[in-house]
Amino acid sequence: MSRFLNELEARDLLSEYKIPMAKSFLIKEKAELAELNEMMDFPVVMKILSPDIQHKTEAGCVFVGVSGDETEGVYEQILVNAEAYDSLAVIDGILVQELAEKGLEIIVGLKRDPQFGPVIMVGTGGIYVEVFKDVAVRLVPLDREEARRMLEETKLCEIVRGARGMQYDEAELLETLLKISALVTDRPDIEEIDINPLFLYEKGKGVKGVDALIKISE
Amino acid sequence: MDHKLDALFNPRNIAVIGASNNQLKAGYTVIYNLNQIGYPGGVFPVTRSKEEILGRRCYEKLSEIEAEIDLVVLGTAAPLIYEIMADLEVRMAKYNDVKVIVCIAADYGETKTAEGIRRQECLTRTAGRYGIRVVGPNCIGVIDNINRVDTTFVETLIPAEMRGRRGGISFISQSGAMAASILMIGASQPAPISMNKFVSIGNMADVDCIDLLEYFEADPDTKVIGMYLEGYPDGRQLIDSLARIARKKPVVVLKVGRSSIGAQAANSHTGSLAGSDSVYDAAFRQYGIVRAATIEELMDTLQAFDALKLPRGNRCFLLTQAGGPGIYCTDAFMDQGNLRFPKISDATKQAMIRLLPPMANIGSPEGYADITAAATADQHVQSLRLILADDNVDSVLFVTVVPTFLPRRELAEKLAGLLKEITGKPVYICIMAGRYVLESRRILEENGIPTFDTPAHCVRAVGNMTAYNSFLAAHNDTGY
Repeated sequence: MSRFLNELEARDLLSEYKIPMAKSFLIKEKAELAELNEMMDFPVVMKILSPDIQHKTEAGCVFVGVSGDETEGVYEQILVNAEAYDSLAVIDGILVQELAEKGLEIIVGLKRDPQFGPVIMVGTGGIYVEVFKDVAVRLVPLDREEARRMLEETKLCEIVRGARGMQYDEAELLETLLKISALVTDRPDIEEIDINPLFLYEKGKGVKGVDALIKISE
Repeated sequence: MDHKLDALFNPRNIAVIGASNNQLKAGYTVIYNLNQIGYPGGVFPVTRSKEEILGRRCYEKLSEIEAEIDLVVLGTAAPLIYEIMADLEVRMAKYNDVKVIVCIAADYGETKTAEGIRRQECLTRTAGRYGIRVVGPNCIGVIDNINRVDTTFVETLIPAEMRGRRGGISFISQSGAMAASILMIGASQPAPISMNKFVSIGNMADVDCIDLLEYFEADPDTKVIGMYLEGYPDGRQLIDSLARIARKKPVVVLKVGRSSIGAQAANSHTGSLAGSDSVYDAAFRQYGIVRAATIEELMDTLQAFDALKLPRGNRCFLLTQAGGPGIYCTDAFMDQGNLRFPKISDATKQAMIRLLPPMANIGSPEGYADITAAATADQHVQSLRLILADDNVDSVLFVTVVPTFLPRRELAEKLAGLLKEITGKPVYICIMAGRYVLESRRILEENGIPTFDTPAHCVRAVGNMTAYNSFLAAHNDTGY
């Protein structure tokens, strides 16, 4: 049997391996919202955390750009929409997430291939991943040089290295790949990791994962 | 012998079960091939009829042969396997000598029927009890040109006097038919390709790709390994073996089954993009394993690795005798992606200008020269000599068509002379004109200088060797 970790668990696991992820907090009661003011910069993203609601946007359970004084209203609205979408859904809470500064959209993925074991992937991220198919693949483990050669196989690489003037933080992107490689070596129960998008920022400013999906076997 | 598989390539004596006097049967061709290659050991046909086969005395049973048998070729119809294995037990109790069985018969496990599987188990279990290794079933056999062994039933029409030539290519095929075709295509080259070792592994009931890869890895006579691959149950294990070997000697793989991309498509992005073939492809690149897309590329690349030095870098000069072929070659060159035209020195350029007809184009573009159809055989050879001597050049593509006024034999002989003298850099030769230049190509190939059918074929070969050299260099191995 295998299952997906919820967004928060996925985020926590990646953070453990020092992969920078957008800050997220799970709110179980409306009263907790007040504490957020201290911890977060606004606006934020708010969304439902429920194993039963996979298509959150469709369910009206994602709000982007919520300001500090809107959080309570949005909190209630998400619960109402969730109830309307699926009245039986188990609700773990509301996730309040940092609205990460937009960067170059990267996909970093990993899949345990039945024949080859863990296979890592990097490429052009975003919602058109399947269209552009600009990805490169390697077997794990890989070292920094191999990670670099892997990136060089993608068209993305040219953009990262400044095709349009801006040089992105290639070093941190490679570092992220190495961290994923280390993570999957430590955790044989991980079947899949999919970070898309991972925002890549200007040289020296690192990366930040926004959405992450992790599948583990039990 | 310190390795069981030594008996596969260098057996003391060979028994052929299912030998036949019928020229249309595999059991005849095996004996014929062993005779033709000049196998020095004893050949013992085993068959119910008592007559001789090609001058070899026949035996009714394996257990009746008095001589020590290392290798048994098994070619009888599959349903007879039970009695043959019973007789093998008799033999082993008496002599305990057989080390390897090559089962060239089909209708075993590959049929996936209960009976087929039962036959295969009977074969492997009986052999296993005595530590006998089994190649096949459902394969075409084994060739070793150094030890002059040929247990295949493939008739390649190579004349007897050309059998048993030394070559550095060792080859493994997962398909019998591809194996046979590759042998036949190899035999039909201007000078027939004579591989070092050649194994069709069939069902891999016992001996599998990895056993043979490891054997070839350790074999000092194997310079380059070729493989026709459809798949392997443990892909990671196969890749790990290939990766280790590729650091020591080149491995060229024709891996088929690209269309399986998407078959393993899963729901997530990662899953659908990392289908099995793309993983193979990535792994080949990651570990310096050369992937050939076609049979021609496979054969060309193997021959080139066997005969030529590795290019020291990616600077490949294109020396052509005609515009059209030169431009055609340039297109293929650019598509190849990992090669670039070098800028030769002014001294070389001046020497070329002095040497060649006034209409020759030297260095437009850089790294390219068209010596024109007015060039004599000597000008061909001398211009190649100049380019090879230039320090900015790592390899040379040499393309020529042969007009009636260019003496084609003289050209080949002079080229062969030069390339036997100067061997430091690889030269990829294409003499374009089909049958008309077959003799020229044969002269070169018999001197150990490979030739290629078209300029595009040359480009694939130099591209593959250059990529392999870059891989070794990037991993601080023996590459330049």
